[in-house]
Amino acid sequence: MNTSQTDTTFTKEDGAILEEVMNIAFGKASSELATVVDLRILLNAPKVEFLQADDLLRWIKQDTADNDTLNMIEQNFWGKYTGSAFLAFPTSASKGLVSLFEDDDLPPMDEENPLLVKENLLEIGNILIGACVSKVAELLDDEVTFSPPRLIPRMVVDNLANEARLDPDKVAILIKTVFHIQDKDIKGFLFLVAGEESMAWLKTALQNFMAKF
Amino acid sequence: MPKKLLIVDDSPVSRAIIKKCLPEGHDFELFEAEDGQQGLEKFKEVKPDATLLDLTMPVMDGFEALEEIKKVDSGAQVIVLTADIQPKAYETVMGLGAAMVVPKPPSSESIADGLSKIGLI
Repeated sequence: MNTSQTDTTFTKEDGAILEEVMNIAFGKASSELATVVDLRILLNAPKVEFLQADDLLRWIKQDTADNDTLNMIEQNFWGKYTGSAFLAFPTSASKGLVSLFEDDDLPPMDEENPLLVKENLLEIGNILIGACVSKVAELLDDEVTFSPPRLIPRMVVDNLANEARLDPDKVAILIKTVFHIQDKDIKGFLFLVAGEESMAWLKTALQNFMAKF
Repeated sequence: MPKKLLIVDDSPVSRAIIKKCLPEGHDFELFEAEDGQQGLEKFKEVKPDATLLDLTMPVMDGFEALEEIKKVDSGAQVIVLTADIQPKAYETVMGLGAAMVVPKPPSSESIADGLSKIGLI
């Protein structure tokens, strides 16, 4: 766990509980996507960090090639825990991702079919973010509603804060995970950003979750 | 005589939840491991009556650990507890010889069902 700045209100135990909640939620999300694409998705155990939104850049850069750009899908959600969820992955991985949805009856998805590519990236984001955030909400006795997903294409990593409209005062929960889609090696990041009010609720909800057992 | 139960899970929270969900009125001797490699070593050392095994773990995942455990003892009773509820994951672990799969988070009932199915309680 990161021990600097904002996570002072979150104990190591809180972080461990959230990691397990996210593990369950991401399992659910991957299952939803696997059902749609009929492929096995191999997961690494997610790691959770509490960061100021500004620090996201540092984290994402650690796993991104210098000259790479990111395709990012953003979806806002509202509940007792209110915020934004982002699924980001290198632009170079997009072709592999959208190929999961290729159909013999449709034209091939490449640069000449930007709308199809966009629709499929949005669908992948919608499935993963929706299932993950919904499962977190269910486990923590919350209910959430979602905005439609928005694609931020070919984003230069250094422009993350502006492109994603991140408020530097907000706290980001970064769930870093690597998912392998059968023989395709595709690395993605899923992170949630929320304000202090939601974080206070989250801390209590995590303790309530453990008290159920 | 207490039944030996090995819990293999990288998450201390998950291990704590599993222990809280164990049925009351039964005598268990508990052993824990934080990844598949540790779990395999612990399995060889203590020869548990049953193993509760996570799938998504660092160092050695639960699929490989299950395969290795079955090489050591083909009759090993392994219950998989996992958040990975994909049909293909289920098929794989059942093909490797798991007794059953319990989705996370577990409950007292689901753990008791699993232990009952393998004749431990």
